[in-house]
Amino acid sequence: MSETGFTQDGQRYLDGSPHGAFADRERAEADQLLRAVAAYRDALPAIDAGLDQRVMAAVRAAGAPAARPQGPVRWLVEARVRPVWVPLAAAAAALLVWIATPRGTTGVPAAAPAVVADLDTVFVRFELVAPQARSASVAGSFNGWDPNALPMRRSASGTWIVTVPLAVGEHQYQFVVDGTRWEPDPSAAIVEDGFGGRNSVIVIGPKGLVRT
Amino acid sequence: MPESAWVREDAGDATVIRAVLAGDVERFGVLVEKYRAEFGRYATAVLGDADAAADAMQEAFIRAYQALGSCRNPDRFRSWFFRILANQCRSALARHRAHADVTAMELAAPERADSDTDRREVAMALAAALEQLTDEQREAFVLKHVDGRSYEEMAAMLGVGVDALKMRVHRARDALRGLLGVMK
Repeated sequence: MSETGFTQDGQRYLDGSPHGAFADRERAEADQLLRAVAAYRDALPAIDAGLDQRVMAAVRAAGAPAARPQGPVRWLVEARVRPVWVPLAAAAAALLVWIATPRGTTGVPAAAPAVVADLDTVFVRFELVAPQARSASVAGSFNGWDPNALPMRRSASGTWIVTVPLAVGEHQYQFVVDGTRWEPDPSAAIVEDGFGGRNSVIVIGPKGLVRT
Repeated sequence: MPESAWVREDAGDATVIRAVLAGDVERFGVLVEKYRAEFGRYATAVLGDADAAADAMQEAFIRAYQALGSCRNPDRFRSWFFRILANQCRSALARHRAHADVTAMELAAPERADSDTDRREVAMALAAALEQLTDEQREAFVLKHVDGRSYEEMAAMLGVGVDALKMRVHRARDALRGLLGVMK
């Protein structure tokens, strides 16, 4: 046995397998580890059912999946534009975009140019820094400006998050705070909405490039 | 690869997937609810962060949905989805490491004080110790002890041999024994 390691019989004991005799002290420490695991398991926070709603909102926005693989889904990972941190009182909003890194999904061959043209779905992650908000969502041209279609989830730090599949092209949007306050994203380009208001704009390019 | 209850066929899943592929998108929610319940604890324990776990699960479900047509054995969606989730968790760990912004997990508060407070402290000590393990050791330890799975089931889930998994779990225990020694 190493200085802190369990003996073979101690490991078998922890595996719940038949084992030979081993020192009382080691058994006590094995039992201590098992008690710690039980306490840890009991204290683990459950992932709440809100996850289901967020997934289903994204699924509905994406439409029916292809019955046969058509190539890689553009998935936004890694590179990220840093969010703009502003206080809620000053229309706290920030857009965090994960740039597309084309790569194959499970069992799917690498992209062929002819196929890529049909693969214009890009996942965009929106983040809204609003620790005092009671709810937040994203409404835009991609969901019929429905303030209830894409509810955001609050992280422990007070950042509201939602990941949305968007088609390549230009999209306008706003954040909806506490169900009634419509706020454009100060970190993104702004356009007049024709009704006296202002919308934020995100443009997703055909190669996964995003500009706001 | 040992066959076990893990890779059992689930005709119910196959039925749901066929319906989704036929256009009944709402049926996908059945799979989301079912596997959030089964794998949520795994993701939370492996990532050490409930928010990161929720993100990883969300991304895994969306990926699975997008690639549903390429799931060759719909009656084995469970194992197919777990592989996607496990990969998502590994990617999330790499991102966390790259950004060095790993935060302490918020464990559920006990309903009572006294002995429950002790249990919470023990749980927090283990949570901190788990973060000191390698990714492979933590994954194996979580599946074995937190999820309570057999080595054979773990082998089928991860596509890794039983002996290699035993080695990971044993090394994880050895490391934890040393790390938790300060609790005594």
